Amino acid sequence: MKTPDRGAFLLAAPAHLLLALTITIPAVYILWLSLNDSTFGTQLTFVGLSNYFDVFADPSFWNAAKNTFFVVNGIVYVEILLATLIAAVLVSGVPFRPVLIAIILVPYAASEVVTVLVWKSLMNPSYGMIGRTLIDLGMGLNWSVSPSDALVLVGIISVWQHLPFSFLLIYAGMMAIPKSLYEAAAIDGAGAIQTFFKVTLPLLVPTILVAIIFRFVFAFRLFSEVWLLTGGGPARMTEVLAVYLYRDAYRTGDFGAAAATGWLMVVGTLLFASVYLWFMHRGMRNGNV
Amino acid sequence: MSDIVARTLKILTIVVIAVWSLFPIAFVVVSSIKPPGDIFAYPPKWLFTPTLQNYVDLWLEFGEFFQTLGNSIIVSIGATVFTTAVGFMAGYVYSRYSGRLIAASALYMIAIRLLPPIVVTLPLFPIVSWLRLSDTHIVLILLYSAFWVSLVTVILKTFIDEIPRELDEAAEIDGASQWQILMRVILPLTAQGLAAGAIFVFIFAWNEFLFALIFTTSQAKTAPLVLSEVMDAIYGTSWGVLFAGVTVQLLPVLLLVILANRLIVAGLTAGSVKG
Repeated sequence: MKTPDRGAFLLAAPAHLLLALTITIPAVYILWLSLNDSTFGTQLTFVGLSNYFDVFADPSFWNAAKNTFFVVNGIVYVEILLATLIAAVLVSGVPFRPVLIAIILVPYAASEVVTVLVWKSLMNPSYGMIGRTLIDLGMGLNWSVSPSDALVLVGIISVWQHLPFSFLLIYAGMMAIPKSLYEAAAIDGAGAIQTFFKVTLPLLVPTILVAIIFRFVFAFRLFSEVWLLTGGGPARMTEVLAVYLYRDAYRTGDFGAAAATGWLMVVGTLLFASVYLWFMHRGMRNGNV
Repeated sequence: MSDIVARTLKILTIVVIAVWSLFPIAFVVVSSIKPPGDIFAYPPKWLFTPTLQNYVDLWLEFGEFFQTLGNSIIVSIGATVFTTAVGFMAGYVYSRYSGRLIAASALYMIAIRLLPPIVVTLPLFPIVSWLRLSDTHIVLILLYSAFWVSLVTVILKTFIDEIPRELDEAAEIDGASQWQILMRVILPLTAQGLAAGAIFVFIFAWNEFLFALIFTTSQAKTAPLVLSEVMDAIYGTSWGVLFAGVTVQLLPVLLLVILANRLIVAGLTAGSVKG
């Protein structure tokens, strides 16, 4: 390993310049933006913390925060649970495993727009194939009227789209568990379920933890699913934080309040991310990354 | 006895997973070749006469879609090439050099990428319009690259780590410059890593919605954006046309994911969460 020389700096410069100009410097600037009144980010007038007070006094913000909390938690835990279950089945040995993995990855190809469009038409209560069937079974989701039903559908859509990602993370973690441990468990006469709970799961805890944090950070951004499904309605009842921010910024042009919301989202993300980064840092120190 | 139960449960799980993953996609593709009147028939019509009418209508009535598809191609290829090139150079540095600055900046690269994209659009929006970059391909290419350069760098670092340092050193003794080592020794041996990184960027750029919604209005509008607009303004029989458009947008990436799923697995394992 060499210590960085001029060549190293030059080679790493484009990547760092790109990050600095498009993410880092703007991210810092948001803090300043949040302390100002502005229309679409121009004509700044310093107003101190009043944007934050306005946001905190807005019941729609709290509703969006509450929705985000419930939806994100629902998405992450359901997804990780399903991913672990599927990975366990695959690791235990199934026919056509490579084909099955390709099938599991299929939703990763679909854009958010396509995903929402498909589920929207499948779940339509009057003509959707699944929506109608669910109503006939007495378990219909009235998502165009009921905010909580709509958020459940948002959760289903989001899980459908991101399950491949969570699955791969956990599957890779399971594959990394040494075969010899399973052989030892088999010699000791442990059954499949016992092996899963006594061998696989304890060794999988770090992977699951990382997957949870990772998914939290990304689920927290939730925007398109809600925006395309309900637009945040009816009556702003299904907004999540990113939709709340978007409406403030790009519909009303109130960039000050949006920046305040944005900065709160950054802090929220950092809280989750710091746990993740702590893991990364520990990994780097041990030379695994 | 319990063996049979276990096996049945396993097969059942597999079937459920396959249906869950494939059914929504199959629904779109099949609907696109159904006669418009049959798409939302309830109970569903499993048997129907396939037709290409929806695709013909898409071509005749919805020219804007093909223009946006062209934009998607430009933006996706641009972002993929740019990110992979920049990430390759940085990945080499993070593979071959060490030290405090290297470790700290690697952590920073990963950390900054975790910020919610919508937040970053706020300060960028006035700057982009001041630079007259609104509604251009360049702004999307730069944004997509910025949000993927970290992961691509990490993926390529992992792949370059596999190349023995002795090769660099031998080339150096032969008098090769750093740039020559990078282009003649490392690059040819990193094809798989480049492909793995490129796939992630391409799929993201091809499907991205939020940045396109905020930063494009007409000239640089991408295919997902125009599909979402049609979805909001849909009426009656044009569902068939919409499903045809969706299929055209979806199919290339779907094939890519299915054919290159090993690369995606390799890239993800190399790239994200070893820790």
